[in-house]
Amino acid sequence: MLLRKSGTVESMLAIALIVAILASITSVVNHVNSQAEIMGKLLNLGESFLIISKNSTSITDSKVDTELAELLGNNTNTKYVLPQKVFTASLITTSNRSTVLVRGVDAQTFLEARNAQINGTYANETQANVGEILARLASINKGDKINIAIDNETVTVEVAGAVQTFTQSDTELIVPMSVANLLTEDSSKVSFIEFAIKDGEQAAIDNLSERLPANVKIVKTQQTQAFIQDVNNQTLSFLSLWSIAVYAVVTAASYVVASRLTVESGYELTMLKALGAKPALPFKLILSFTLLITLLGSVLGFAIGLSGAQILSTATRWTWKSIQIAPALEIQQTVQIILFTLASSILGSIYPAIKAMRKTYAELPL
Amino acid sequence: MRLISFNYLQRQRLVILTLVLMLASVLFSITAFGFFGFYKTFNAYLGEEQDILTIYQTGSTTPFTGFIPLQLTTRLENISGVLANSPEITAPTLVMGKSIFFRGVIPEEFSKLNQLTILKGENLQLKDTHFTIVGKRLADTLNLAVGNKILVLGTLAERYLELEIKGVYESNSAFDDEAIVPLYVGQWLRGTNYETVTIIRVKIDRGKLTPSLLYEEITKEADAPPPDGKTRPTPIEEIIPISTTTINPENLGVKETRDFMKTYLERYGMTQETLLILSAAVFVFASATVFSASHTFVRQHEHETAVLRSLGASTKTLRLNLIIKVLPWSIAASLIGVIVAMAILLTMQNSNLEALSHRILFQPDLLLITLDVLLVSAIVVLGMMRSTKKLNPE
Repeated sequence: MLLRKSGTVESMLAIALIVAILASITSVVNHVNSQAEIMGKLLNLGESFLIISKNSTSITDSKVDTELAELLGNNTNTKYVLPQKVFTASLITTSNRSTVLVRGVDAQTFLEARNAQINGTYANETQANVGEILARLASINKGDKINIAIDNETVTVEVAGAVQTFTQSDTELIVPMSVANLLTEDSSKVSFIEFAIKDGEQAAIDNLSERLPANVKIVKTQQTQAFIQDVNNQTLSFLSLWSIAVYAVVTAASYVVASRLTVESGYELTMLKALGAKPALPFKLILSFTLLITLLGSVLGFAIGLSGAQILSTATRWTWKSIQIAPALEIQQTVQIILFTLASSILGSIYPAIKAMRKTYAELPL
Repeated sequence: MRLISFNYLQRQRLVILTLVLMLASVLFSITAFGFFGFYKTFNAYLGEEQDILTIYQTGSTTPFTGFIPLQLTTRLENISGVLANSPEITAPTLVMGKSIFFRGVIPEEFSKLNQLTILKGENLQLKDTHFTIVGKRLADTLNLAVGNKILVLGTLAERYLELEIKGVYESNSAFDDEAIVPLYVGQWLRGTNYETVTIIRVKIDRGKLTPSLLYEEITKEADAPPPDGKTRPTPIEEIIPISTTTINPENLGVKETRDFMKTYLERYGMTQETLLILSAAVFVFASATVFSASHTFVRQHEHETAVLRSLGASTKTLRLNLIIKVLPWSIAASLIGVIVAMAILLTMQNSNLEALSHRILFQPDLLLITLDVLLVSAIVVLGMMRSTKKLNPE
């Protein structure tokens, strides 16, 4: 009879308490992560996307076929399509010469999409709009003539108005695409295409992604979910590394359980050998006993861990009213914890089991 | 009967017991040092100097998301005892698929509070409209170099922009995991107007000002009418259009920078005490194994102790002798556990382990080490005392 009352309960409790630590902390971390995700969903998320070159990490290095804009324009789910060409150029005024970012785009559609405040008018084919901050830095006023130069190509435009968008365009020159094409001497490519889709049209993005050429990618301009996911993954990385220490203790606990069994059930094991049991039998018995204890301990551990976390969260709510923790475990996490606990248990009990198998009954005192 | 010199405990079993104790100690140390590392890193997030105060929005849920009026900076200049002030805006973003915090600052003012060592490239100027400087750790993580261009995507606002790396800096603080941009670029990324910032850090003369005194002064300044006549615009006012906004002192809080971070951590129940209790709870849960290991160790030596009992050794003598013999091993196991845990944590620290996109800096703590040694020893002694009760000469 290997299942001794006191030893079995103590062993099971030792495993259960370790699993309880893992279950409770994982469940609390799950709650924190889910709260972050819920908060992210509450934000008023943007609906605009960019199509840029697959390998580019920036806008100015990206090159996309202009024809793609037409493909997007024909899609009934799109709100607006804005092909844009962004590049650095020299800005030459009567008093100043500096390097600035120039954005070639349909100025009116672009500025309307940004709810821009404009002091003047939208730029036409021979004009430019200047961002408010750039206007202050370069002392540019409405009606000024400015020169934009790249290498040997120079274009003179009139400033149609200063704009305030609270975006990077406040430091840019916004020129019509025809001016941008003239400066870059290329009308077949743009830097990227900005577009927006109607609410809840994720399927349209998926559909579009499939139809786009392999050398471009779609990037959402507001990346709340990706940010939260990355931050959550950082917490989970620490939790994963920490759980290795917990599983190491499970291994140690299983070693202790198996060793204790061989000590406390020495009489039974010796009798079995004396009666002719094969050497593998003690090995199997010890391993099965430890695994059974671990399995039962794990189930008990989940119960202790989750109820403990619940009690703690209730107590916390009494002290800090703003904290509302709802600990929860995913099914795959539960299975994963049980499997890793069992694997650690096998690792811990294998040495005492082998040792018991190798001993002859003559070595085992009755 | 004297048993001190009588070597009846098997060394192999002692080593295995030590190993079990060490693993329990490793678990406690990793938990405690991990939690405390997070706590201390965030307490020191904006600096620990006592002469730097933070003005923040009292109702904000995180230290990264509050809004206070930028115009307060010009009012602060009128207060005696204010040596410098740095308005700052933090913006969570995504760069190359990684979550990054951008800090919008007025570089000249920021440098009065935090000295940055420029390792590569040049320092940032307020007029650098499409440039950024990045912390050393961030540059290493994303493999960024001076001259690289990055696409920055907003998370709290629908914003995208391109920035060129102008320099790489080192500050030996949490700023090394962030990128610094001119104030207005931070405001774009945060999705706010040019009138608001997240916090204003103020360097004070401690002989003249305290947090409560500064708050009183701000209240007086808020009630006072705006200065008459045309005053000389500040460098930031020359660049960005700032309109007059009302200052509501009820929404503002003033604290020492360290206390400011502590307030937020405490709001989520994260105090030094709760973390200590949580770590100790983890150890107590793991102590059943330590207890069981001590018990098994005594049972493994039943034959030896039975012989000694037959020879006249009392249970009390045997118990005391066992404790004396095992205790040094237990202390050694705890200390080795601490060393192993620190080695693991430092490896994790060097392999970009982060929380809230900032590297966690782990440091050994004497209180935690003492607690670890005491807890392990106490459980071992309890385990021994319980097991030796059953010793008898039969």
